[in-house]
Amino acid sequence: MMTDTSTRALAAKAVRASREQSRWQRTLVSIAYFVIPLVVVIALWQLATTLPARPSPFFPPPLAIFENTWNLLFGSERAVQQVFAGELLQSLGRMALGYIIGAAWGVVIGTAMGLNRSARETVTPIVEFLRSIPATATLPLFIILLGGGDDMRVVFIAYGVSWFVLINTASGVGSIHKTMLDLGKVFRVSPVRRLFAIILPAALPKIFAGLRIASTAALLLAIVSEFMLATNGIGYMLIQAQGRFQLLNMWSWMIVLAIIGLLLNSLLEFIESKVLAWHRLSRAKI
Amino acid sequence: MTDTQSTQSPAVPGDPGAIVVVDDVSHVYGSGPSAHHAISGLNFSVQPGEFVSIVGPSGAGKTTLLRTLAGLLVPTSGGVWVEGKRITGVPKGMAMVFQDYSRSLLPWLTVERNVAFPLQGSSIPKAERKAIVAESLEAVGLKGFGKRYPWQLSGGMQQRVAIARAIAYRPRLLLMDEPFASVDAQTREGLEDLVLQIRDRYGMTILFVTHDIDESVYLANRVLVLSRPPAHLVEDIRVDLPTPRDQITTREDPAFVHLRSHVARLIHGGGAE
Repeated sequence: MMTDTSTRALAAKAVRASREQSRWQRTLVSIAYFVIPLVVVIALWQLATTLPARPSPFFPPPLAIFENTWNLLFGSERAVQQVFAGELLQSLGRMALGYIIGAAWGVVIGTAMGLNRSARETVTPIVEFLRSIPATATLPLFIILLGGGDDMRVVFIAYGVSWFVLINTASGVGSIHKTMLDLGKVFRVSPVRRLFAIILPAALPKIFAGLRIASTAALLLAIVSEFMLATNGIGYMLIQAQGRFQLLNMWSWMIVLAIIGLLLNSLLEFIESKVLAWHRLSRAKI
Repeated sequence: MTDTQSTQSPAVPGDPGAIVVVDDVSHVYGSGPSAHHAISGLNFSVQPGEFVSIVGPSGAGKTTLLRTLAGLLVPTSGGVWVEGKRITGVPKGMAMVFQDYSRSLLPWLTVERNVAFPLQGSSIPKAERKAIVAESLEAVGLKGFGKRYPWQLSGGMQQRVAIARAIAYRPRLLLMDEPFASVDAQTREGLEDLVLQIRDRYGMTILFVTHDIDESVYLANRVLVLSRPPAHLVEDIRVDLPTPRDQITTREDPAFVHLRSHVARLIHGGGAE
C-alpha cells in the first residue's frame, strides 16, 4: 500500500516534470522562431554594410544604429529627459488622445449605424466616400481649419482612426443574430441593458479587430502629423535628421518607432486575450 | 391594428378563463403581388395549465404564430390576449425557449450567469436570485455546471440551460419554438420528459411548436394542426393519453398510434382528407 502510493506519487512527479520541461521547450522554440531570423537578417545587413571597400552612407551598419539609438535615448541624463519627455511622450500623448477620441466616436456612431438599418443604408455611401480619401491627404485641410498646434494633430489622428472602428462596430452590431436580439426583448430587458449586456459584448470581437487596425493607423498618423509645422515629437525629429543629413539618427528613430509599434500591438493583443477569452475558446471548440 | 396602446382592452373574446386567446389573427409579410400570407384567420384559446402543441407542414407559419404570441410581431389583423389583456408588446410572465440554443445563450457568460440573466434588474434580492438559479439548474439536471460556459457543453445540455433560464424567470406561460429540432433522438427523448416534469413541478402553461408529429402528440393535452400557408387551423385535437407519459408505454399505446397517424394524415394531406 505504502509502496503503491509512493510509486504513484513518483510517477505523478515525473509526469509533472516532463510536462514542465515540454512547456519550457515550447517557449524556447517559439522564442527561437522569433529571434533567429532577426539575428540572421541583422548579421547579413552588418556584413553587407561593412564588407564593401566604400560602404554606402545611406545604409549604416546595424550595430552602429543600435549604438546610436542607445546614446540618443540613454546617452546622458539630459538626453534621457529631453528625448523621453520631449519627443516620445509628445508623440505618444498625441497618439493616445487622438486614438481614444477617435475610437470612442467610432464606437458610438458605428453602434448607431449598426442598430438602425435605414440609418445605415443612408449613411453608408457617405461613409464609403469619406473614408476613401486617404486620411493623410486631409492633413492640409486640418492645418488650415485648426492651425499648426497640438489640437489639430489630435483631431487629425482621431479622424483617421475613427473610420476603422466605425466600420467594424457597425458591421459587428449590424450582424448580431436575430435570436440574440429577441432574447433581450422576450425577457423584457431594458433597452439600455440590451445595448450594454447583449449587443456590445456580441459585437466586441469585431470592434476589437477595428481597434487593432486603428492602433497601427494612430501611430502612422501621429508621425505624419509631426512632419508638418511641429516643434517636437518623433516625426519632427525624423524630418530634422533628414534635413541635416543625420542618417544614423534617422535610422535610430525608425528603430524606436518599430519598438513602439511592437509594444502597442502586444499590449492590445494582451488586452484582447483577457477580454475576449470566451470568443477565442468558443471558436477553438468548434 | 396598432391603435391599441392602452392596456384596458375591450372584453376578451371567447373564453374569459383562458390564459391565451387568439382572435382572428392574420399576418402578411410584405405587400402587393409578392406578399406572403403566413397565417390567416386563426382562432383558438388556451386554458391555464394546458400543454398545447402546434404542428404543421414546414413553412406553415408556426414561427410567425409563436412570435405573434410572444409580442415580438404585431399581426396584420386580429389580436392576442394574454391573461385577459390584449398584448401590445412582450407580455409579463412569459418566457421563451428558442430553437437555436447556440444563439440564445450568451457565450461570454457562464451557465449560472446566463440563467440569472433575466433576473438582473428585477427587484429580487441577490441571495434569493442565487437560490433561484441553483434550483433551476438542479431542475434541469445541471447541478454543478454553473461555472462552465455554454460552449463547453453538448447541444442537449445547452438547451437544458436555456430551459433553466426560462424556469428561473418563473413564467406562467412558456413558449417553445422547435426547441429540440437540433439535438439527436436520444437526447430529445430525455428533454421531452424533462419538459413534462417541469410543467408538473411549476404548473406552467406551455405552447410548444414542433414539426415532429410524434413529439407533438407525446407531450400535449391538445394538438393544433396548421395547414400550409396561409395557415389556418385544420383541427384542434384533444389528447387524452394517460399521464405520466412514458417514452415506451405511451408510444406503444394504440390511442397514441391512432392520434399520431391522424395528425400525420392531416399534415401530409394538407387538410384535404
